[in-house]
Amino acid sequence: MAARPKRYAMVVDSKKCINCKACVVACRAENSVPLGYNRNWMNEETRGVWPKLMAAFQPEQCHQCAHPACVRVCPTGASHHRADGIVVVNEADCVGCRYCMIACPYNARFFREDKGVVEKCDFCVKRLERGQLPACVETCPSKVRVFGDLNDPKSKLAELLNQREYRVKKPEAGTGPQIYYLI
Amino acid sequence: MKTMEWGFLIVNYLFLGGLSAGLFFVSALATFLYKINEPSPYTRIARLGALLAPWPVIFGCLLLIFDLGRWYRFYELFLHLRLVSPMSIGSWLLVLFTLVSLVNCYAWLTELQRNALFAKLPRTLAFFSKFNYDIDHWRRWLALAGLPISVGVGIYTGVLLGAVQSRPFWNTNLVAQLFLFSALSTGCAALILGLAGREKRAQELRLLYGLDICFMVLEFFIVLPYLIHGQLSVQAVQDSLKLILGGPFTILFWVFFLGLGLLTPLVIELKELVPVMVSNREFHYNRFVTAGAAVLILSGGFLLRYIFVFAGQMSAMQ
Repeated sequence: MAARPKRYAMVVDSKKCINCKACVVACRAENSVPLGYNRNWMNEETRGVWPKLMAAFQPEQCHQCAHPACVRVCPTGASHHRADGIVVVNEADCVGCRYCMIACPYNARFFREDKGVVEKCDFCVKRLERGQLPACVETCPSKVRVFGDLNDPKSKLAELLNQREYRVKKPEAGTGPQIYYLI
Repeated sequence: MKTMEWGFLIVNYLFLGGLSAGLFFVSALATFLYKINEPSPYTRIARLGALLAPWPVIFGCLLLIFDLGRWYRFYELFLHLRLVSPMSIGSWLLVLFTLVSLVNCYAWLTELQRNALFAKLPRTLAFFSKFNYDIDHWRRWLALAGLPISVGVGIYTGVLLGAVQSRPFWNTNLVAQLFLFSALSTGCAALILGLAGREKRAQELRLLYGLDICFMVLEFFIVLPYLIHGQLSVQAVQDSLKLILGGPFTILFWVFFLGLGLLTPLVIELKELVPVMVSNREFHYNRFVTAGAAVLILSGGFLLRYIFVFAGQMSAMQ
């Protein structure tokens, strides 16, 4: 019997986030992201006035959309959608037109001036191929990030999405983002 | 804050590509109007348009290539054809358009010019003098083939921006038409500018005025619904329109684009043409006013691209 196709996604339980930024550092180390650019980043928000205030931290990265706008506009097919749902940039085909950056509603891509190509989060595909978790997921001390296969009903990810309320960012952009934020 | 990924090179390209499309379009229209073997004022329009058309788009394409992160790998664009990507369709269209307009330019050279051109060939390239054909009889076929391609190039510059759903300033179904009619009017204006310098070009200018007024009126009535429907749309679109309705581009848009770049030349041209149409008297023009109006139209076309490229990149879904 053929294996069920995978559909990778991520759940983010941002209430657990303590803003240690270990995920940002791990990503930078894993993917050799130069200073000044980010494949993942933290959104910080403070609300209210002292003493009744709260600080909210929300990690963000490429949303690995189901209908990615970046892939649609790419003139060479360098940005493409893998069968397992991950959106990757094939550096060899990228000419650096930056149309994908303009099309991305999340500003999740950056242009590497030194290489002349566009880069973004790819869920650490190289690590996945070795059977490891993405670097940001593995390093997170408070277990904010849960990575898994949407098509596997036994996965922790599917369990969380079945049992908890969640939202996605900018659903009105119509790109079908696959980073789920638990409420 | 988000960086501007597309800058001046893209603005210039969008303008130059549109200008070439407009030049070719008007030249092709004039080609259908003129009678073979009869000296006609339309011949001058067709010839001037055909001779000018290829050069802005070639220069614009070079700008486009140098804007790439890896310009030396631009050929990758032609190893792929992706029908869902406006840029992929556009790059193929541009090549096709450049080729057709170059051949068309050659077809409109006079025999003297053609011979002079081939006389300049260095001896090592003497082989190419074989190509010294007279292809005058291709003119109408080239115009027919190039007409849809030039419209395609004019529309494509708008679709390139309009296809991005995450930029509400661009993502309306009016941007493509706006860019098309702006492109056609800049092409017309360039021809007016080219012909206004000499005396006794009244008949040519009369046709160009008529076309230009049509294009500008259409452009104006696209700008209006763009603003009205934007205000009636969702919050993200209303917010993006604030860039030109009380934002950084307000004065540029209302005074310099709409006022000086569109309505002023429209009024000038109407004022010169309408009395002629109403009372059927002969068309006279002041060449300084005419050239001034043409320069205003060209600057307006450039400003439209400038405003759209930068304001569009500043607009985002919140």
